[in-house]
Amino acid sequence: MNTQADVVVIGGGIVGAACAYHLCEAGLKVHLVERRFPASGTSRACDGLILLWDKMPGAELALGQASSALWVELAGALELDFEYARQGTIFLAEGEGGMDAGRAKAEALSAVGVRAQVLDGPGLRSLEPNLAPDIAGGIFFPDDAQVDARRATLAMLSAAQRRGLTLHTNAEAVAIQRAAGGAGRIEKVITRDGEIGTETVVCAAGVWSNAVAQLVGGELPLRPRKGHILVTAKVPGMVHHPLLEGGYVSTVQSATEDLQVALVAEPTASGTLLLGSSRQSVGFDRSVSMTVVGAIAARAVRFLPALAQVPVIRSYAGLRPWSPDHLPLIGPWAQVPGFYVAAGHEGAGIGLAPVTGRLITDWITGAKLPPFAAVVRPDRVFGQD
Amino acid sequence: MAKTELAVVGAGPAGLAAALAAARAGVHVTLVDEYPTPGGQYLKGASHPDAAPPVFATERRGRALLRELAAMDVDLRSETLVWGIEIEIEGLRLALHGPDGSGWLEPQAVVVATGARELVIPFPGWTLPGVMTLGAAQILTKEYGVLPGQRVLLAGSGPLLLPTAKELARRGAEVVAALEATHLSQWSRHAPAVWGNWERLREGWGYLRAMQRARVPYRFGRTVVRALGGEQLEAAVVARLDRQGRPIPGSEDTVAVDTLCLGFGLLPNVELTQLAGCAHRFDPTRGGWVPTLDERLETSIAGLFVAGETTGVDGAGAAMLEGRLAGLAAAHKLGRVSEGELTRQLAGATNTRRRLRRFGTLLNCLFAPRPGLDAITTDDTLICRCEEVTAGQIRAAVRQGARELDAVKTWTRAGQGPCQGRTCSPLLARLIARETGRPVADAGTLHVRPPLKPVPLGALTLEEQP
Repeated sequence: MNTQADVVVIGGGIVGAACAYHLCEAGLKVHLVERRFPASGTSRACDGLILLWDKMPGAELALGQASSALWVELAGALELDFEYARQGTIFLAEGEGGMDAGRAKAEALSAVGVRAQVLDGPGLRSLEPNLAPDIAGGIFFPDDAQVDARRATLAMLSAAQRRGLTLHTNAEAVAIQRAAGGAGRIEKVITRDGEIGTETVVCAAGVWSNAVAQLVGGELPLRPRKGHILVTAKVPGMVHHPLLEGGYVSTVQSATEDLQVALVAEPTASGTLLLGSSRQSVGFDRSVSMTVVGAIAARAVRFLPALAQVPVIRSYAGLRPWSPDHLPLIGPWAQVPGFYVAAGHEGAGIGLAPVTGRLITDWITGAKLPPFAAVVRPDRVFGQD
Repeated sequence: MAKTELAVVGAGPAGLAAALAAARAGVHVTLVDEYPTPGGQYLKGASHPDAAPPVFATERRGRALLRELAAMDVDLRSETLVWGIEIEIEGLRLALHGPDGSGWLEPQAVVVATGARELVIPFPGWTLPGVMTLGAAQILTKEYGVLPGQRVLLAGSGPLLLPTAKELARRGAEVVAALEATHLSQWSRHAPAVWGNWERLREGWGYLRAMQRARVPYRFGRTVVRALGGEQLEAAVVARLDRQGRPIPGSEDTVAVDTLCLGFGLLPNVELTQLAGCAHRFDPTRGGWVPTLDERLETSIAGLFVAGETTGVDGAGAAMLEGRLAGLAAAHKLGRVSEGELTRQLAGATNTRRRLRRFGTLLNCLFAPRPGLDAITTDDTLICRCEEVTAGQIRAAVRQGARELDAVKTWTRAGQGPCQGRTCSPLLARLIARETGRPVADAGTLHVRPPLKPVPLGALTLEEQP
């Protein structure tokens, strides 16, 4: 492969796939280079939730709402089925304190157009009869959705291929050549599988994006945070909606290095349940820790006692790309002309992938940008937590 | 957290020999086994009242180990699964799940003797009720005293066909035939490796005689290419094979049977050593992926030993010998066997081990399914039973660029179900290799993660270290 492209996207996860899809839709000649194979990193080691209630009203929520709308379009437009289901999610409040926080959240979100329905104990159990009898209540967010993240990645890539994308697997980017002795505009991307001439590069390498930024002498403020997920045997009807413990948001937003666990239970189309969630800062280690598996299991049984006898068939761990202000890095990087970043989505990469692809495309084609574009620029000043 | 000096995983011939060798040296041994009674597949049902008296020396030695186990002070944990292992600087620990629930076991050394499992080359209909592995048929007859069916056909390759046919016939099943996929003429060039392995030859000969007496035809160069039936197996289509293993068009013949037993050789069970992070290598003459071991059967992780079929498929005799040596090596690590004694024991066993391995290698090479045999796996054949993925879907994924097991799993879901790819991963590797024209080893392995086998969610919560 020694060829010319308008844009080279580096990274074949869900964010890279969304960028490639939208760039191809805009009529650009796009090549995507992936170190291993599509979805081989975090996109196959996560849940597939598209959440709004975990977003702060303002730019973050606006980003989420734009992306949710794009997911609806994609579910109709892409040829490959990726199990998109908009059945809502339920925020669980373990005690009355959690219920107060839930009500406040419901009110704040309702004010900006996110539908929310407060459920008392009996109301909650009428939707989810297998929840423990002492769970105080919950909030039903009917606009939330879910996908099979792995299939969604493949669906966007194959749709992009039909629109002209060239996909290179087992093609790690090892250098980015620049003019003027390495200080000027980008000339080409050099991979283990050949070279692609281009002036525009999108770094969508998720938690590995820093290695790509280093190819142009940059440094991104991203850190890997490990999250574990357990998969149960098929138990159709055990759980009807994705359930998330209210503490999930504080777990994700916490800056602590220590292990944090909060329940996420996501029923899949095949009948299995995905059980999470955990956060740990342990570098790039992707191995499964039995201590974390045990902690997630304990939390799941606390909320869903009937699960105690259900077999767990497997587990996995993925690395979530953490950014200092919990917002992704999307847009041009001023220091290097032609270098764009689409990374740092932490646990929201699946939900925010389409809007990321759209924003990157708007930046590159010079289209009119939405107001939240400035908030997620990768060269913004990162405040403290 | 329970502590022990030595944990032996698996109570087959190798595990029994390892546990007893260490116990004789005064080591406190915990022997963990998934099955209700010890003995593994080889000694299955040996203590059952209907068991046939042992005919061969290897069998007699195995039963002697079972008797010794009953008399020794070994902590036997039956019906207990090892579902995880953690290697820490302070030592290693195993996660167990048994009749009394789950817990950690913290041993100072471990011998992994998890044996091997059967390889089946799939064809349309192989998932019908009534189709099973040779091993499953043996468990039914020997352990539960139940015949799998009335009219039975056996097909596959390798030495397991014979004892299974003999046992089924002895219990009164009508065994239509045992079909060996290789050609008899392919056997002759391996004759030199046979020299000295008289015991194993006697065994083989004994099984052949027993089959003859029961009038079970043993036919070469044939296999089953399709299983027919609606709810249940009703008939099998048998075809002749050419020397590359390809079915010869027009040679098909339909045989009415209610049971079909299949086995194309054995694959070492290395999930536990993979999860532990031991170094492995791919060696088809050993049966596939095997842990890399030193002279003392120790893996790349100190204190973690391996014995028996897990080290490579060589048969029960070799497993017992290796088990004894691994038990002694572990006892030496624990300071109960002197360096001199261990060296002497290892040196004394060198020639026998070499001879047994030569024979094991011969069988593994001779009976390895020929490449042409993959033609029986048509595109509509189910490969991953758990997730219902067909050979056609897998071949399509490979053509689109999924050239390793991990990629095929991600793209097709094959291997994501309850068996965690135990059945399908070797089949996927063969399909990838055939499609890409590259060696099977290049397909890699699946990531092994806990739980190694399904465990109830409520049992995953283990008490922490004090």
